[in-house]
Amino acid sequence: MAEKQLESTVAAAAFQKQWFAELRRRVFDERQPYALLQADVPFELFDLLDIPAVSNQWWASLVAAKRQAPAYLDAMSADGYHEGLCHYCSLGYASTKYRDVQEPPWGGLPTPRLLCARLTCDCIHRVFSLWADAFGSELFEIDHPGASQLPPQWWELGRHRWRELVEPHRLAFVASTLQRLVAKLEAIRGQKLEVEALRQRMERVNQQEEVFDAVRQLIASAPETPVRMTEQISNVMATQWVRGTDWALAHARAFYDEVRQRVNDGIAACPGEKARLMWVGVGLWHDTDFYTAFETSHRAVFVWSMYLAFGPDGYIRYGLDDPMAALASRLASFNEYLHNPPWAAEWIVHQARFHRINGALVLRPRNMKPAAAGRMFIERALEDAGIPVLPIEADVVDARAWDATAARQSVRSFLEKRVIA
Amino acid sequence: MKATPIAALRAAFEASCIAKQDVKQKERGVVLSWPSVPIEIVRAAGLSPILVRSDSSVTPMAGAYLEPGIFPNRLRMLAEAALSGNLSHAARIIVPRTSDPDYKIFLYLREFMRLGIAPTMPPVLLLDLLQSQGPDVRSYNAARLRDLLHELSKVSNRMVALDDMRHEISRANLARSAGRRLVSLRRGMPRITGAEVFPLLGAFWTVDPETYANLASAAADEIGRRPPIAGPRVLLAGAPVDGTDLHSALETRGAVVVSEIGPWGSGAFGADVVCDDDPITALADKYGADSIGPRTPARQLRASIAGLLDDVDAVIVSLPPEDTTFGWDYPALRNLLQNRGIPHVCLSGDSCDPLSAADEERLDMLMSAMPVRTEVRRG
Repeated sequence: MAEKQLESTVAAAAFQKQWFAELRRRVFDERQPYALLQADVPFELFDLLDIPAVSNQWWASLVAAKRQAPAYLDAMSADGYHEGLCHYCSLGYASTKYRDVQEPPWGGLPTPRLLCARLTCDCIHRVFSLWADAFGSELFEIDHPGASQLPPQWWELGRHRWRELVEPHRLAFVASTLQRLVAKLEAIRGQKLEVEALRQRMERVNQQEEVFDAVRQLIASAPETPVRMTEQISNVMATQWVRGTDWALAHARAFYDEVRQRVNDGIAACPGEKARLMWVGVGLWHDTDFYTAFETSHRAVFVWSMYLAFGPDGYIRYGLDDPMAALASRLASFNEYLHNPPWAAEWIVHQARFHRINGALVLRPRNMKPAAAGRMFIERALEDAGIPVLPIEADVVDARAWDATAARQSVRSFLEKRVIA
Repeated sequence: MKATPIAALRAAFEASCIAKQDVKQKERGVVLSWPSVPIEIVRAAGLSPILVRSDSSVTPMAGAYLEPGIFPNRLRMLAEAALSGNLSHAARIIVPRTSDPDYKIFLYLREFMRLGIAPTMPPVLLLDLLQSQGPDVRSYNAARLRDLLHELSKVSNRMVALDDMRHEISRANLARSAGRRLVSLRRGMPRITGAEVFPLLGAFWTVDPETYANLASAAADEIGRRPPIAGPRVLLAGAPVDGTDLHSALETRGAVVVSEIGPWGSGAFGADVVCDDDPITALADKYGADSIGPRTPARQLRASIAGLLDDVDAVIVSLPPEDTTFGWDYPALRNLLQNRGIPHVCLSGDSCDPLSAADEERLDMLMSAMPVRTEVRRG
C-alpha cells in the first residue's frame, strides 16, 4: 500500500479502528444497541439517538481491503447464489452468514438491533431481508420513490432551493418514512428526538461539508494536486459516517488545514504532475495501490473521485426550517445524482472541467449492475467535452477476476496515446 | 374463415409484440413496458394498451446507449422502438416502477428526448407504484394513479368520472373471471400445454375486455372437452417469462408447464378488483399487491410459489444474466423444494434466446431424473 502523505489520513484510519472497537465493547459489554445501514441512510438520526451505526459499504470495503472477499463470495456461490448477483452490497451479509470460513476483520460485526436500507436497487430488499434473518434482527426499509422531474444543475439547486429538486409527493413520502424511522429509534432508545437537535446537527453537517468544499477548491485550483485521491477518500469517508459530530467537524478542519499548508508550501502529491485523472465510480477497494501506480512512471495522478465532491454537492442543505424535509430532500435522489442520466453525466463533466482533468477512468462494475447503468451516457459526455475516457472493468470488492498487471498496462497505454501525448 | 377463439387470442398476443406491430396504426395506443399498469385507467381514458414483450430481434440503436447485462430484452426492444421512430404515433409511453431497469429505462428515454436523438418519441410517464409495506404506500400509490388518470385524460381530451372507472373495473373483472377459467384447466389434470395456453392468458392485457371474456370462455369450453395431458407438471419460477420459448423447450421433452410466476401467464388475473368505494384506491391496492416483478416482496413471492407446489412435479428456476433479484430467493426455494421432494433445475440463459447447451443439458437431466408417468393424474 502506498505511503500515506498526510497526517490526517493516519488519524482518520486510527479513529475508525478505535471507533469500531468501542462499538464492539459497547454492544458486548453494555448490551447497547447499534444499527447496520446502507450508506445512503441518514446516519444523523441514529447518532442523535445514541445508536451507533455501521455502514454496509464501509464494512464491505474493509473486508475487500483485507483481501477476504473471495472466501466469502466463494461460500455464497457454494450455497447457491449465482455469480451475477451484486457483490458490493452483499459482502457484509456474506461475512455474517459464512463467518465460519474465516474470521472477519476486527472481530466481525456484532448482532445489530436494527438494519435499515433504502430500497434503491431491486436487490436491496432481498439482501437486507436475508441479512436481518441471519442476525435475527429487525429491518426497517425506506422505499425509494422514482423521480420524474430532473432539473439541470442539481448540485446548485440542492443547497438553497432543495424543494425544487424533489417533487412534493416524493419529498412528503420520504419525510414521512423518516418520521417513522425516528419513532422506531426512539422506541429502541426510550428517548425523544428534538427537532431543534436535528436542525443543529444538520447545520453542523453543512459546516463540515463547507470545509470539504474548501478542500475541493484547493485541490482544483492548486498548480498540482496537493492530496492524492485515495487520501481524500480516507479522510472524507471517516467523517461522513459520523458527520456533524465534534470529531468529524474537527477532523475535516484539520484535513483542510493540512491540505492548505501543503498548497502554501508548494507540496504536491505527485511533483511534476503531467496528467490529472478522475475516477468515475465506486472505489477499487481490493487494489487501492492502482490509484498511485502511474505517478512515478507517467507523473499521472488521480485528482478526483465522487467521494470528496459529493459531500458538498450532495449534502449541504440551507434553509432548515423543516429539517426533516431537508434531510428527505438530500437522500431522495442520491442514486439519480450519481448514476442516472441526465444528472450523473452533467455533474461529472462539470467536475472534470473544474478540476482540469486530462483523462477519466470510468468503472464498468462487474457484479454491481445498478451502478453500471448510466455509464455509457457518462463516457459519451466526457468524450464530447474533450476528456479522453478509459473504461475499466472490475468487481470493486472481488479480486478473483482482477488482472492488476493488465489493468495497469491498459492505463499506461491510455496515458501515452490519449492523455500525455 | 373465422378464426377459432384460441386462434384469435393467440393472434392478439402475438400482435402485442412491439417489434411485430405497426404502432403507427394505433394513434390512441399507450405503450406499457410491463403489465403492471392498470389497464382499467388506460381504457377509461379512451386509450388502448400496447404491451412490450421480449423478442429475438436485434437492437443496434439501443445498444449504443444501454449497457449490456443490465436491461432485460423487452426494455431493449422498447428503447430500439423509441430510437427508430416506431412509437411516433403512440399517445404515451408508460413505464411502471416494476424494477430498477424499468425505472432506468424511463430516465434513458427522457434523456433520448432531451438529447434530441428520439425526436418523434411520445412523452414518457413514470408510474411509480411502490410495493413495500409501509403505511404511506397505499395513499402514495392511489395519488400516482390519480395523476396517471389525469394525464391520460388530457391526452384523450376525455373527462373520466368515477363511475367510468367503476365500469372499466367491472369490464376487466369480467375478463379476469373468464381468464381464471383457462387457468383452472391447467390444474390437477392439465388439458392444455403451457405453450398453447400462455398466449391465451397474456392476451388479457391488450384485448378489449368483453371480447376477451367471450373468447376466453369459448376457448375454455373447447379446452375443457379435451382429454387430460400426461407428463410431469412443471412450474416456471424465478424471473418471469413473457414468451413461450421455455414452455416449448420443456414440452417437447414430455413435460407440461402448468403454471408460471409472473403477470403474463397464470398470474395475469389474480382476484377481482374490489371496488367498494373509491375505484382508484381499489386499483392501487390491486396492482400494488398483485404486480409481479423484481420489486415484489420476497415473502409474497415465496408464498405464491409454496401455494402452487401441491400441483407440480418439478420446478424450473429461470435466472437470466440480467437477474439481480430472484437469485437471492433461490437457496430458500431450493431448500423448500428439497424438503418437499420436488426436483428442480436452474436455467441461466435469457428466456427469449435459444436454450444454451448448458441449459439444454440441465433440462435433459431433470427430465431423465423424473419418474416416467404415462397416466394422467386424477385430482
